[in-house]
Order: sequence, then C-alpha cells, then structure tokens
Amino acid sequence: MTVADEFALEADADVRAATGAPAPRPGRRRRQAMGALKYVLLTFGALLMVLPFADTFIGALRSPADVFANPPRYFPSDPQWGVYGRVFAELPMGRWIFNSVVVTVTITVVQVATSAMAGWALARYEFPGRANAFRLVVGAQMFPFFLFVIPIFFLLRFAPLAGGNDILGQGGSGLLGTYAALVLPFAVTWYGVFLMRQFFTTIPEELIEAARLDGASEWLIFRRIALPLVRPALATLAVFAFVYHWNEFIWTMTITRTAPELQTLPVGIFLLENQFQDLDQKALQQAALAVSVLPVLVLFALAQRFFVSASMESAVK
Amino acid sequence: MRRRGAPARPGGSAPYWFLAPVFLFTGAFLVLPLGFSVWLAFTRWNPLSEPRWVGTRQFEFLLTRDDAFWGTLGNTFVFAGALVVIGVPLALGLAFVFSRARGKAAWRAIYYLPQITSFVAIAYIWQFVLDDRYGLANRLLGLAGLRGFDWLSDPTMAMVSIVLVMVWYDVGRNMVVFSAAIEGVPKDLYEAAELDGAGAWLQFSRITVPIIRPAVVFVTVTSFIGGMGFFALILAMTKGGPRGATEVTALYLYEMAFQDLRMGRASAGALILFAIIAVLTVLQFRLLRERRG
Amino acid sequence: MRRPILAALLATAPAGAFAQGGPLTLAMHYNQEQAAPLLACLDIYEDETGQAAEYRQISYGDYLQTVLTGRIGGTQPDIYHLYSIWGAQMAENGVLAEPPEEVADFVRETYGETAEAATIDGTLYGVPTEVSVYMLVSNMALLREAGYDSPPATWEELREVADAITTRNDQGRIETAGFAFADSAAGSVHPFYALLASRGGEVYSDGFSEANLDSPEAAAAVRDMAGLVEDGITDKSVDGFDFPAGGIGMIVMANWMKSSIQEGLGSLDDVAVTPIPAGEGWRTLSYAFFMGVDSQSERQDDAWALVRWLNSDASADESGVSCMGRVLSGIGALTANASDNAAMGEADAFTQPFLDALAEGRATGQPNVMQAAEIEGMMAEAIDTVLAGDAEAEAALEDLDGRVEDILFEFY
Repeated sequence: MTVADEFALEADADVRAATGAPAPRPGRRRRQAMGALKYVLLTFGALLMVLPFADTFIGALRSPADVFANPPRYFPSDPQWGVYGRVFAELPMGRWIFNSVVVTVTITVVQVATSAMAGWALARYEFPGRANAFRLVVGAQMFPFFLFVIPIFFLLRFAPLAGGNDILGQGGSGLLGTYAALVLPFAVTWYGVFLMRQFFTTIPEELIEAARLDGASEWLIFRRIALPLVRPALATLAVFAFVYHWNEFIWTMTITRTAPELQTLPVGIFLLENQFQDLDQKALQQAALAVSVLPVLVLFALAQRFFVSASMESAVK
Repeated sequence: MRRRGAPARPGGSAPYWFLAPVFLFTGAFLVLPLGFSVWLAFTRWNPLSEPRWVGTRQFEFLLTRDDAFWGTLGNTFVFAGALVVIGVPLALGLAFVFSRARGKAAWRAIYYLPQITSFVAIAYIWQFVLDDRYGLANRLLGLAGLRGFDWLSDPTMAMVSIVLVMVWYDVGRNMVVFSAAIEGVPKDLYEAAELDGAGAWLQFSRITVPIIRPAVVFVTVTSFIGGMGFFALILAMTKGGPRGATEVTALYLYEMAFQDLRMGRASAGALILFAIIAVLTVLQFRLLRERRG
Repeated sequence: MRRPILAALLATAPAGAFAQGGPLTLAMHYNQEQAAPLLACLDIYEDETGQAAEYRQISYGDYLQTVLTGRIGGTQPDIYHLYSIWGAQMAENGVLAEPPEEVADFVRETYGETAEAATIDGTLYGVPTEVSVYMLVSNMALLREAGYDSPPATWEELREVADAITTRNDQGRIETAGFAFADSAAGSVHPFYALLASRGGEVYSDGFSEANLDSPEAAAAVRDMAGLVEDGITDKSVDGFDFPAGGIGMIVMANWMKSSIQEGLGSLDDVAVTPIPAGEGWRTLSYAFFMGVDSQSERQDDAWALVRWLNSDASADESGVSCMGRVLSGIGALTANASDNAAMGEADAFTQPFLDALAEGRATGQPNVMQAAEIEGMMAEAIDTVLAGDAEAEAALEDLDGRVEDILFEFY
C-alpha cells in the first residue's frame, strides 16, 4: 500500500540524486524524430488513462431504468444529474470531506515542519550523535508500513491517561477514536527529513554567518533565513504529503471502523460497500467516487507546477 | 551526498531541539512498536483475552504447516515481479516517446491522473470497467467481436487485472522519473548517432537505455520491493479473491490480525515478510553500487 | 511513558465500555433507508424515556471485523445485531452479556424454536430478529418464454428448464442465464447447505468435533451445483444479485431479496417462490440475526430495556407490529416474533412459501460453530473451485474437510 508510494517518492528524488539528472529543458526539442507515431502512441495511452474515469462519470448518470434493462444500457437514456445532490443528501459526504481536509492538512503541516527542522539540524550542525541520527533517518525508511499496523494500533489503544484510560492504559479507548490516532503515526516522514537535509546543505554559508553576527538566534536563522530559501522543496513535500494522505486508507480505515465521525472520503466509501450492493445504488456509488476524485483533481490543476517542476528541482540536488 | 561546500558548525543544544520531534517519534512510533511486534510474534493473542507465550510456534506453523501462507508468498512475488516486468519497460518506452513530444505539461497531467486518485476509488472505478458482462472493457472488446475476459472472476485473470491496474497507476510517475533521466543524456550523442544513420530504435536501445541504466535499476528494485508489501488496491478490488488468487502476504496478515484476531501469528508473519524484504533491499544496494561502479 | 504501556499490554484486562452517559449505540447492517422505521422509533423512545440511542450502520461484510476491532479498541457499541454464526466466537470470548431473566422469558415465549439461533452452548444471548430461509425463486416470464409453465421440482428438471432459458450473445457470453449463484461467500455456500440437507447430509456431527464435508452426500450436492456450470447454464460471471434486472431465470435465494426484486421487476406478480428442487424430501437452510448487548457496556440494563422495547408490543404502532417487525417487513424479511406475525396476518404470495417452509420444519438452522465465518470462507473457496471446473468435488471436499477439522480441533 503506502509502501509503494513511499518508495515512489524516494524513487523520484533518489533516482535523480543518484544519476545526477538535470532539470528538463522545456521548449525546443527536435521535432522530426519520430513523426506522428509518437503522438498516436501517447494519445492511445492517454485514452487508457482517462476512459476509466469517464466510465465512472457516465455511470453515475444512469437511471434505474438503464440499469434494470436487459441487457443494461451503457449510455444514460435520461441523465440523472440529481445524483450529485443525492450523494450529499444520502451519504455523510460533508463529514467525510471535512475529515479528509482536517486530517490531510494537519499531517501535511506537521510533516513539513518536522522534516524541515530535522533536515536543518542534520545539514548544518556538527554535534555528537549526528552520524547516528542520519543513519536512523536513512535506515528507518527501510521498515515497511505493514509492520506497524498491529503494534501501533494497540499502543494507541493503551495510551495512558487518554480517552478514559487510567495511568496503566486501561479502562478506556486510549487515543483510538480521536484525530490524534490519524495524525500522530504520520507525524514524521523519514523521506521528508532526508529530502530537506539535501536541500539545506546547499544554502550559502555566508547568509547564515551574517545573520549570526547580527546576533540572530538559531531558531530565527532557521525560520527567517533558511526556510524561505527552500520554499520549492517545502512545496514539493507539502504537495506529495497532501496527495498521499488524502488518499491513504488502510491505516485510517483500521482506526475509524468503529468511529464513523472520523472517517475520511476513501474510508467512508469503502466501508459503505453494502449500501451500494443493489443494482440501482451503483449510480450513487459512482457519483460518490466522482466527488471523491474532484478535490485532488482541482488541487492538481492548480499546483501541477509543484507536482512536476518542483520535484524536478529536487532532482538537481 | 552532502555537498563539500556546506560547512557544519556546533550549535550548542540547538540541533537537539530541532531534532526533538524526530527523536520522540522514533521512540513512540518506531522502537516501541517494533519491540512490541517482536514480542507479540512469540505469543498467541486474541486481543479479547490474555496473550500467551508460545515460543517460536507461530513461526513454525507459518513456515511448516500453513500452505496458505506459502501460497500468498507466491502471489506476492508474482505481483511484485509482474509489476516490474510489465511496468518498467512500458514506462521506459513511454518516457522515450514523451521526452520527444510537444505539449509535455498536458501529457504529463493526463498520465499523472491515477497518481492523485485513492486506491479505493481506483479499485471501484476498475471494478465497473472490468465487470464480466457489462463492463466497459468487455463492451469494447465485444464491439470488435471478441468475447473479452473474465477479468475479476477468473483466478488467473484477476491477478493479471490487479497487475494491469497497478501498472496503470504507476506508469505516469515512472515515466516522469525516466524522462528526467533521459533529458540528462547529452544531445550530441544523438546527433552523432543520427549522422551515422541510426534510427529511433537504435538511439533508444544503444544510447538512452545504457546511459539511464542506474535510474532503471533503481526504479526496478524499489518498485519490486514496494510491491512486496503492498495490498491497499487488492483489499478494495478483490479482497484477495477469487479463491485466494490475489491474496498477497501483507493482505493475508492484515486479515489474519483484524478479521480472525490472530495477532501473534500475524506479527510473526509480518516479521518473516519483512526479513524477505530486508534481504532483497540489501541485494538492491549491492546491485546499485556495482552499477555505479 | 514506556513502562505503563508495556505493563498495560501485559496485563490486558479488556477495556471498559467507551461511552458513558451519552446515547446508547446500536450497530446494525441495515442501510439508512432500510432502517428508517427504526430511526423513527429511537426518536419516540427518547421522547418517552429520556434515553437517547444512536444508530450506527456497519456494512454486513465488515460487521464482525468492525465490532471485534471496536471491542479490542474499547470503542464497541452497546447493542449488537449479529448474524447467528458470529455468535459463538463472540460468546466464547465473553463479548456478549446474558440477558436479564425477564428478557429471556420474553424470548422463549415469543420466538419459539428460533430462540435457538440466539443460543450458544445452551445459553441464550439475545433477541432473535431477522430470519431468512432459502427457496427457489423463479422469473416466470423467462420460464414461459422457454416453454415452461411451472418451476421445476427436481434438480434434473431445473437443469432442463434452466438450459432452455439460457441464451448467449454473439461473443458467446451468457446473456440470459437459466440459473445463477450470488456473487458472495454465501452465494454458493447457502444453496449447498440446502442441497446437502435435502440429501440428508449434515456438515458437522458430534457437537462439532467432526466435519462431514467428505461425505458422499456433500460431494453429490456440490456436483449438482457444478453440473449447471458444465452445462453452460451459468458461470461465475453471472451474479445472482442481478436477478432483479430480469436476465436470470432462477436463483436459490433468501426472502430478504424481495424488495430489490420488486423494485427491479416492477412487481412480484410474475415471480414464483417454490421449494428447493430436490423432490419430496426437500429441506432448506434458515439463519437468523439476533440483538445482543455488550458485556462491558456500562448500561446493560438500559440496553436490554431498549432491545426489549424495540422487539415487543411496547413499540407497536396502530397495526400492532413492533418496531423491529416493521423494519423487517419493510425489507421483506421474516420474523419469528409470534405476536408480530399474528398482527401482520396473511403474508403475500412471495413471502408465504418462506413462512410455510419454516412452519413445516423444512428449514435447518445454520450451525453456530466457532470461527464460522472463517470456515464458511473456506467452504466457499472449495465449492467455487469445483464450480470453476478446477477440481473434482470429492478431492476438493476432502481437502476442505481436513482444513475445517483443523479449526474444530482448536476449539472442540
């Protein structure tokens, strides 16, 4: 699950770190090379990418009559635009979206903060234990997520003095059933620390020295001088974290099975599976899927620059 | 990979403060869970009652008596292997075409679409597409007079479908990674090749691939290892079925823990799977180092 | 912080109930539409008694996993609504509370034999609610088109009728299926139970110490089912749940599909419900849900009071049917509640045969065995392997028998 994504994130930057691939030079490319064939290939691939989404948007508009026909009709005979209203009326869509936003934004902010701070310390300070701390950051990336699901579930469950628990972690539900259970296990991303460290090593020392001579505190140097210089990296990390956690579902589902008030969009849709079992509920399910895809799609449209160009910049490091 | 020019200085207690969240996290969400997990692996624990110490019995059971466990390991290797064998060449070829096309931003946006979609949505979207009788895939094949496939109800095809959907999900990102590496290939090499009369295929196979080889190896090994522990899509799409054909080890263990409440055995299984992945990771580093010379 | 957590883990006395003082929580698998009468009742109950209750919908397929995860996490509901086969596992682990004497008496007086569904090892754990029975359900329009006026009475006839109904499209895919199994674990297992019982076979013997899945009766039952696939009448690409779309001739299905069949076909006029086609000696499978209370709920008494209220005259409307009775009749489900059945009077033509099967004692209750969900998953896998033609019935069932006995050995 998540592991694949973590790895992919690593792949994105590490590959470039490893190969020293420079940023793409947009603009002029040789035009004549493969002629029209390449566009045929790209268009065919693009169709394969888009058709499944189109299938869902079309399916959402089918009426019960279309579904109950034998054989069922593919294109809606009477498009049911009202289905999008039903999605919000019949499903706790608002709640899910709210939770998704709260959880994803919190994790993103926390991850960017912890990554930047730790990356800064590892990049610019000499202190006892630094080598080991760096080894930890690299080594911890090796542990796959599935290893943690069971133990962290119970550690949160038996967290002392939380959720009605006594000092021994007994008697209540601990941190389960709280937003903390959805956020804390993702408070640090090892890859993020690694990435930020790479970036901070490139800041010119003169700027920092100048600030220090002016009597700026270490925190102030970090906050006022270092951070603004690595904005593209922060944006890259934030965008990746946002997309990843907007879509995360195994952990959130495990924790919120019994806490519907905390369920996020993917978890809610997944756990309401039997709501959608009847044939005439399929359109509702497809509409819910369409709605769940849209917010990230908009973000993507707005921030594509950061998805791609910022991640390319990270490649130069 | 620290740059030479970035001097580091002592900063008193400052670095420790900056690292404090990471240290806390390490204790609470790395060391403690791993320790707990190892301890659990030597117990029999249905969490509705007390855990019981059983020594290495869970490992023995999984490795010597549980055919299903071995079956899931087989599925895991097939899944991760197929992902690489199909996914990497496809992404590579696409990257080569893509890097020479105009309108990159638009193409990239389209190929990136699955990347921003949750596995739940991907699973359900494809369930509709791959419906045996009335799904889009078989309807289109039907237009061509073909019977189509039993995408999700036939055990072999179900694994094929899962792999194809996963390739569909990953191809855009791998394409971007590869195209970044391809952009780094010096242009004069192509120009020289062209003067010698080499066509696109020769340029691709003789120039591009050898030069970006480290990137290819890296993506290959990381996606193989990532695939070894992956199960989100499978859980939502087939739940490991039909008849266990897509049941990978990580999913098997998840269900063992949270459905059958066998926490001890599931923890033991997770450690075994992790050991396998760890060995592969070490091999990966060896391989990469060799490639880099 | 480390020591207390570890100490807690080692001690692992189960956690207490989560909510205190707030509303009681009631976890059921009915969706909002199906549960609408119940939600209205909960409002009335709050007005009458001041006790609020909250409805929590949990998907049927995820129910057991969800409540168990909730239990180990200390976030369990106060009131469960359990498929009877989940009961053994929950009772064995002390999750279920025993009802107070007056509730137990109420159950014995009102539910007759169906009280067995809520009974595990001789102890009653709750109030039975939804009862389901499997029968042959036929789309008569398709049967007539194929030249048959009445549903088949034997499996041989069923094969013949189904074969006449089945049509394929140009690509060789089944378009109208003579028969279909539902695409779920129960979809092949439950018809198997019915056919096995009709042949006089039983899945377990001697208080669950032994499985009889390697018996000749079991093999014959599976072969009957597999024969339909061999004949090209049905396959796994056809889903019994699509019956309401009108492309399936016959299914062996439970009564709860009534409302979606009615919705899909427009009416039930042309749908026939007849005995399991296994000749004179036919038998079938029944199963039930029951409402139980969590043993760690801080308000067990309040919870039992609500359970009893929902299932008794106290919550009856002017028709005299209890609240749960109205929910069940709304979705076309059966109840074993004698007073509800009396108040509802004559059932319609669709429902009556299911009731008759129960009244005539044709139905065998699904056994409340430990790890039943796990076992049934294995059964489904084995049967599907045979249906797909990947194994012979005898071999698949013998292998299954061994695996099931491994599990039984752990507990009995």
